[in-house]
Amino acid sequence: MKVKTTRFGELDVDKKDVITFKEGILGFESLKKFFVVDPGDQTLILWLQSVENSSVAFPIIEPKIFKPDYVVKLLPIELNSLELENLADANVYTVITIPPTVTEMSANMKAPIVINNKTKVARQIVLQDNKLEVRHKMYMELKKYIVNFSSDDSKRTRVELAISVDNATATEVEVENHNEERVSRINSNTAIDLQ
Amino acid sequence: MLVLTRKLGESIAIDDHIKIVVVQIKGKQVRLGIKAPKETKIHREEVYDAIQKQNSEASQSDINDLYKLSEELKKK
Repeated sequence: MKVKTTRFGELDVDKKDVITFKEGILGFESLKKFFVVDPGDQTLILWLQSVENSSVAFPIIEPKIFKPDYVVKLLPIELNSLELENLADANVYTVITIPPTVTEMSANMKAPIVINNKTKVARQIVLQDNKLEVRHKMYMELKKYIVNFSSDDSKRTRVELAISVDNATATEVEVENHNEERVSRINSNTAIDLQ
Repeated sequence: MLVLTRKLGESIAIDDHIKIVVVQIKGKQVRLGIKAPKETKIHREEVYDAIQKQNSEASQSDINDLYKLSEELKKK
């Protein structure tokens, strides 16, 4: 299907890639359908684009990239609402804001976006952990990662290892599938970066 | 909205498992104690306001700021 967007022009989106937020996103409760746009640039930032409103798109990034020790703990009721048994079948993103002074960029660690990869059901979940910040300044963390990643091939191995640890709770088969998917995507980003 | 008056040390019950106690009253501040099952999420309302504001700002992100960020990140 064709979707008009103000930032990326008209995009052809496969119906199976459409993500459903049954409750919308906080402050955007009326918007239920989104999809992920990967501009493929070196910032590793993706966009969560609304199907229903061409001008609404949230820049998002996987928190593991800049904060490897970030852990999302969901309650059984939350996993249930996402049709998940555990987080192995999910992608977790944080919403970021990029002000004109870009080094002041921040990520919302308190309320990550969790997407079920299989059913494409998603929610923005407010975590109970009071230490998590809504505006976590992360420019330096991201820069550090990107500089390391593009200048040293050994770091790529380290990333893959980090992902394996991340999925330690999943069954073996699921871990393998999931890893392949994630690693290939990260590698494809690097490929673009090196051009 | 249901409005109840409570004295220090008194409490209200919500459903069977949630209890809210007035722990301390000091000037314009009230300290509340909340007893609830583990799976109950309890947040100050400001948290939701902050998240909504962050979402709202993020949704209007200028793609040019992202290009600017990309350039900035390339610098050694």
